[in-house]
This record gives sequence, structure tokens and C-alpha cells, in this order.
Amino acid sequence: MQGLSKQETLATLRARIETLEKRPLLAGASSAPAADTPDRFVLPSSTMHEIFTDAPRNAGATLGFSLAATRGLLSANRPVVLYLQLAGETAETGLPYAPGFLSFGIDPDAVILIRVETIVQLLWAAEEALACHAVAAVIADICSDPKAMDFTASRRLGMRATEAGGTFLLLRYGLGRTATAARLRWHIMPEISGEKAYDAKAPGDSRWRLKLEKGLWRGKPNEEWLLSWTGNGFDILPLPDTDRAPAAAPLPRALPSPMGHRLSQTA
Amino acid sequence: MRLVALDETAIRHGLSLGQTVSDARAQLPELEVREIDQELTQALFADFADWHSYASPLVVALTDMAPYGDLVLDITGVTHLFSGEEQMLATVTARLKQLGFTAIGAIASTIGAAWALVHSGRSEIVSASLAEALANLPVASLRLADHQIARLTQTGFKTIGQLYSRDRKSLQSRFGDSLLLRLDQALGRLEEPIEPRIPVAELFMERRFADPIGLMDDVLMCAHDLAVSLSCRLEAAGQGAKTFHLFLYRVDHKVMTFSVNAGRATRDPNHIGRLFSYRAERLEGEYDAGFGIDMIRLAASSVCEIDARQIGVFEQDDGAQTLDRLYDLMASRLGPLAVLRPYFVNSYIPERIVNLEPVLIATEPDPDSYPDTATPRPLRLLVTPEPIGVIAEVPDGPPASMVWRRVGYRFIKASGPERIAAEWWSGRQLPALTEASLTLAATEDAAHLYFDEARTIRDYYVAEDNGGRRFWIFRVGLYVADTRPAWFMHGFFA
Repeated sequence: MQGLSKQETLATLRARIETLEKRPLLAGASSAPAADTPDRFVLPSSTMHEIFTDAPRNAGATLGFSLAATRGLLSANRPVVLYLQLAGETAETGLPYAPGFLSFGIDPDAVILIRVETIVQLLWAAEEALACHAVAAVIADICSDPKAMDFTASRRLGMRATEAGGTFLLLRYGLGRTATAARLRWHIMPEISGEKAYDAKAPGDSRWRLKLEKGLWRGKPNEEWLLSWTGNGFDILPLPDTDRAPAAAPLPRALPSPMGHRLSQTA
Repeated sequence: MRLVALDETAIRHGLSLGQTVSDARAQLPELEVREIDQELTQALFADFADWHSYASPLVVALTDMAPYGDLVLDITGVTHLFSGEEQMLATVTARLKQLGFTAIGAIASTIGAAWALVHSGRSEIVSASLAEALANLPVASLRLADHQIARLTQTGFKTIGQLYSRDRKSLQSRFGDSLLLRLDQALGRLEEPIEPRIPVAELFMERRFADPIGLMDDVLMCAHDLAVSLSCRLEAAGQGAKTFHLFLYRVDHKVMTFSVNAGRATRDPNHIGRLFSYRAERLEGEYDAGFGIDMIRLAASSVCEIDARQIGVFEQDDGAQTLDRLYDLMASRLGPLAVLRPYFVNSYIPERIVNLEPVLIATEPDPDSYPDTATPRPLRLLVTPEPIGVIAEVPDGPPASMVWRRVGYRFIKASGPERIAAEWWSGRQLPALTEASLTLAATEDAAHLYFDEARTIRDYYVAEDNGGRRFWIFRVGLYVADTRPAWFMHGFFA
């Protein structure tokens, strides 16, 4: 090993880990990915996403985006979305309200609410639900920053999601980022809504500004979108402020392989 | 104050039950008297009664006469397990005597007759005519009030047999209805309904241990074994069950009960075993093995027919069964109130239109109560609306800015108002939102509140602030004279 440079050693080690981690994925990769074309926004399934927003007052936006994104995941043999919430946080962010789901085209019967007392119960319930082959997605809403929700716990959940083909959306709040094993981390902010026909003063279609903070999606990191809900799916809008100076060139680093999400990435 | 329990020394000194305390003190000055804690003794006695379900599934603690209870077992159809009635009576009383209790038992075809025998000190088994067996017993053994007994003896009725030939109407008018009731109950002319302490299970399997066990793991393992044999019986009968109870009989006469529910009838032993093991993780001090458990019983209730199903190769799995199992497991670990599904109620009030119901209770949805999709509804609803400070440009106009949770928001778009008033058919149960309306509701006539529009009408607005956040806020009441209506935050849109 002495003849090799540090970079080369790292590359060989990465390649080895990749081959080691390939096996369980291939065993579970039976479901065909949803049609993913550049002009459509479809959240990748069978994996763990972390969705951050700055404050609990944006809770409506994150739940709306999550429901809109999970709508495409519902199918005949995966008819249910599970929403997990700590009972103590209901006063902060409110309870999901079934009549509102209809505006995102989600049948209220397809959403099951699980209210737990402690974070340990929440993690247990999330893991159990992700292991179930009839659950399309699990949305876990955690307002606080509990200790138990650490890297190990998120890694477990992420692996469960990959194994059983469920999608795990972890909704978090605040500016701090703890290390998690989520494959993709998104940052969501609500955006001023679209025009409403015949009423300029009324709020129109919901819009979100979405930023990929971690991981690669369609081979690209740090992408930004402006999404609008059309009633049937996301509409990708052009970003308004394109005149911003391009960010400084990122530090040189080894590009993650296509299997990069299986690597233990930390924040 | 009267004596309700005596020890042997007191009985030897001639004291008797029902004697007044002053009387007893006069007779025996060194008497030590303690006040009975009726609730505690009743609870302990009830536990003790539960433990007797080892002998018969129908156990009752009658509390109408005794200070803490009379133990009644319905032994219909179980005597053969003890090889006959005599043997059973001997076994049950001997077991109690071994434990240091003074117990007396009798077997008769009615509760009244058995009670009469026991309270006259006879440990008998009545197999022939009840009337004959009771004829020579004193009237006091008929479960009557003290004044009734006193009047009966004054009139010269000493034994129950003397009452048989008397005119029923005159007995009723002189001694009250309850005399006839008790007489009929004792003689079996009138059925006496009993309410068993432990719900009667249709099917059960049990296992007794030579040595008591104490570890939860052992209990769960045994529960799984019992589930296997129970499922064999269920399968043979073509049945499944929705509720399973695990009774743990402790050596020291206590029974612990754990119940689990399944969303759909099942007989899969692995599923039943898992439900109990998840239930065991939710224990909050209810499991205490004490000196050990010497018998475990697994019972199934809500039994119904389920047919064996052929699984087809080309069949599409809709996941319903898998999901039901998932909910069962979650409910057994997290509690049945943790797994909820929305259920629509026919109402206009936003917080009433949807109820969260436990998934295990499968209520048929009511198609009429499905919400109207034309009006905007938020994605999250605050359980209690929070008061906010709002500035509107014009009274009755949309809000211009608000202060909520000590943060200011400036609105750039708003739609509304959507007026939601109290429903006239349930106007008397108005949601009281402000301190003021709460106190008013308490003091004023409810009918006045019902007609008072200023306090029942809500005007909802969807307001969007300059950050794109959309809120569902409402104003209670109208601008009348110099009153300023209160504003509340009720929900968030996406």
C-alpha cells in the first residue's frame, strides 16, 4: 500500500465497500422506478428523504409537499401513507386535517395517523411500517431535535426503506443539521402562490422553493427548483432570480459512485 | 356502626355479626375495633374472586348483602372436571382452608338457596327439591333487610317453610316487594341474572405448572404454545377470533389479564404470539409475578367463522391483510388509541367534521358526511384555535397583518370570508373560544347564547403572508357597536 497515494487508497477502499453493499440492494430492487424525466418532478421512491424547513410555522408547506410527493407512490398494492407524530407536538404543528388532503388528490382514507408518546416509539413504529410491503410511504414529523433520532437510527430506517421498497420522509424543522443517513436532504420554503383566475387578491396554487442540500439527484448536487402544485402533479417553474452570482467552485472531492447512497454519508 | 367481621377469639366470647359496636363493647370491653375500608376490601375480594376462575369461568362477587362480597361460581358443566359436585366443593373449600381462610360452601341450583344454606352454616349439596331443603332454614337466610327479618320474626315466621303456604299478596303488603323477590329467587321461580367478573370466553386453552414461573419471556413463550393449540381448535371449527385474553393466575390468588385485539378475525398462532409480545412491551406496572404464576389461560372471544382461502397464483394482493396485521401490532405496542384513521361526521364546524377513530374500530363510512371539496380546507388544523392579534384595513374586510406566537406577519393575499355559523340543531353546544364566552356560557341562559349571532358566527379567511405561508384564520362574531371581534388562528395550508 505504500506505493499508492492517499487518493488511490481511498478509491480502492470505496470500490470495495461499493461491491460489498451492492448485494442486498440487488436483492430488493425488484420494483421498477417511476418514470423520471427531466420535465417532471418525481421524488425517488424506496429510500429515505429528509425534508427540512426553517421553522414550525412552515409546517403546512412541508406536509403539503410530502403529501403531493407521496401521491404518485400510492398504488393498488401499496394503498396507504402513514403519518407519525409525537402526541406532545400536536399543539405546535396541529393535527393533519383530512378534508384538506382532498386538494392534493389524496383519499383521506389512505392516510393513517399514528400518534406516539415517545421518540423511541416513533422510531419503532416507523421501522415496523417501513418493513410492511403494503405501505407506500411513511411521513415522520419531528419538531424537536431528539437524541434518539441519530445517525444509527436513521441508517436503520433508510435500510428498511430500501429493503421493503417503502419511502420514508422525515420532516424536520430548524436551521441545525444533525448527521443522518438520509440519501437526499431537501430544504423547503414556501413561496408566494400563483395567480388565481379572476381573483388577483386570492391565494392561488401552492408553490414551494426546493433545494437539494445533500446527495445527488439525476447525477447533480445542490439543485434548486421552484415547484407548483397543479392538482395532478408538480409543475416545474423557472427560478425567478437567475442573475445571482454562481457559487464558488466546490472543494474538489471524490464524486460519489452511482451506488453512493449506500455509502455511509454524513452531513 | 355494626360488626361486619370477627376473628375466632371474638366469636368464642360470644360476639356475632351484625351486632352494634356499643353493644359489643359493653359485652367485651377490651374489644379492638377497626373501621372497614370498604372499597379496598371489595377490590381485594374481587381480585380474589377472579382467581377462582381456575374452577369455573363464571365467577361473581355478590356485593348486595355482604360488606365486601359473597363468592358465587356458576359450576354448570364443569363439575366433571373435578369428578363430581362433592369433590369439587371439597377441593375448592379445602384449597381456601389451606390458605388460612375460614370458608364454607354449598351447591344449589339457585344463588338464593346456596346463600341461605351457607349463611345458616350448612355445607350441603341440594340435588332434590329446593323447597324442601330451604323449609327448615331461618327466614334470616333469605337475603332480606334487618327490619324485614325483625318484622317476620315478630309476626311468628321462624322458617322459610312457613312462608310457602301464605297468601302472596298479604306477604307483599306487609313485608315489602323484596320478600317475594328473594323467596322466588331462592326457589328458582325467578331467574337471577349474574354478571360475570371476567367476560366469558368462548374458547380457551390453559396450562398448569408444577413449579410457578415468573419471567415475562416464559409467559410469552407459553402464550405462544397455547396459541398454537388454540388455533388448532379454531381451525377444526373453521373459526377465527378478534380478541384474545391472557389470564395469568398467580400463586397468591391474583389474576392478571392482558387483552389484545385484531382488526380482522385471525387464528394465526404467530400473529397472536407477536401481539402479546408487543403488548408486553407496553406494560406499566401491571405485570407483577409476585411469588410466581401457576396457571396460564389463553382465551378467545368475538369468535366468528372464517373460511380457509385458496391463494391464487395470479391474484393481486391488495395489501389489506398485511395492513390489518401492521395496525394490530402497532395498536398492541402503542395502545389502541395511537393508530387512528379519519372518520367524517356530518357537520359544518371544521373541528367537528372529522373525528379520529382507532383503526381497530371499523366504522362504516357515511357517504353523506363526506366533506365538500369546493371550499378551501387546510392541511393541518390546530386542536384549539389560538388567539391572534389582527389588523384589518376595514372592519369586515380581509386581514392586513397579524401577530401570532409573538411574531408579526404581513398579509399580501387573502380570500374570504367563508361564514360558518353554529348549527341550529346543535346550537346549544357551542364551541366556547374566548375566556369571555366561557364565563358567559356559564352564567347566562344557554338559550340566549343560542340566538346570539355575535358570538356564534365565524368568518374564515385564507391569508397568505409575504413569505408564502398560508394560514386559515377566523373572526368570531360581528362588528357591532364598539365591540371588537376576536381573531383566531386555526390551521395551515400548504
